[in-house]
Amino acid sequence: MDWLKEQFRKEEWSPYVAGSLLGIVGILAVLLSDSLLGASGAFENLAGAIGQVVAPQLFDNLYFNYVMRPEITWSGVLLIGVFFGGALGAWSSRTWKIRMNSDEQWKQVFGASWPKRWLFAFLGAIVLEIGAGIAGGCTSGLAISGGMLLAPAAFIFIGAMFASGIATAWLVYGRRF
Amino acid sequence: MTNYIIALVLGIFFGLALQKAGLTKYHKIVNVFRFTDFAVLKFMMTALIVSMTGLYTLKWMGVITFPSVPATYVAGNLIGGLIFGVGMAFSGYCPGTCVAGAGEGKLDYLIPGFLGFTTGAAIYGLIYPSVFPKISAVANVGSAIIPDLWNLNAALVIIFFTLLSLLLFYLIDRNRMQRRDKMAQ
Repeated sequence: MDWLKEQFRKEEWSPYVAGSLLGIVGILAVLLSDSLLGASGAFENLAGAIGQVVAPQLFDNLYFNYVMRPEITWSGVLLIGVFFGGALGAWSSRTWKIRMNSDEQWKQVFGASWPKRWLFAFLGAIVLEIGAGIAGGCTSGLAISGGMLLAPAAFIFIGAMFASGIATAWLVYGRRF
Repeated sequence: MTNYIIALVLGIFFGLALQKAGLTKYHKIVNVFRFTDFAVLKFMMTALIVSMTGLYTLKWMGVITFPSVPATYVAGNLIGGLIFGVGMAFSGYCPGTCVAGAGEGKLDYLIPGFLGFTTGAAIYGLIYPSVFPKISAVANVGSAIIPDLWNLNAALVIIFFTLLSLLLFYLIDRNRMQRRDKMAQ
């Protein structure tokens, strides 16, 4: 029992252990709720909800009225859980901390300025969400959830994601790659 | 209501898995693209092996039926994936890991991340009527799965995927594939 507690408190687990946990969560989602894990979809529901208040005419379209309606979905609630799961993980290893610029490697490569980090992250997040929309899901909703059902889409997505991720990192890092 | 409680509890374990695997760190995500840290790949492939084995077993036992399978439309999956990878390398997160990272108190996840995803979602929703019908019309096989599509035994597909992953893990862990990080002190 003490051994288990000690393992739980480690800041990082083996990716094989953490990955197995995610696999089990993926199975339980289907078994208990007939649902698939996903993350990018909830932001689409949220964007529709905000958009239909701020600019009702603009957001009165096919997508926000029928495809991703402004509502609280199963995956929206899942994402609230993900937030607290991240908090629990950090709290268990005593690494929970408010930070403006959280990564040492980032600081080493791009400098300690947090506005620069926020700008890159903001632009990256826009690109991520548009990509997920076109592909039909993100790393969780398509790569993991599609892959575990053996949908070809998942493997096409994973291949494309790694190819462009490698190319982009190579361009961004230059000789430090 | 029960469904929402299940979603919340599963979400907590999902976030915990992402956090403990270290995927809520910018460098973990970027370094898989630099071939200096393969945690992301190991994590994803392990999750896939476990979940595909479990789900197909439960399906054969007649315990579950599959929910609607994510659609395959080759051009969209491919182009979307290419765009997605660019965003991942720039930000160092994906939508799920960003939310878990935000829970850790990382404001560079919470604020630009959530604002960026919502903005991106709004942009995609607005261009959807002109983009999606065209892109999804190319090589669209709908909610197909590999075993049906190519007339393969699902168990063989899973065994093949598992063996391929184990081979990859072996090569990575034996350090034949992993590069040394030039920036590591």
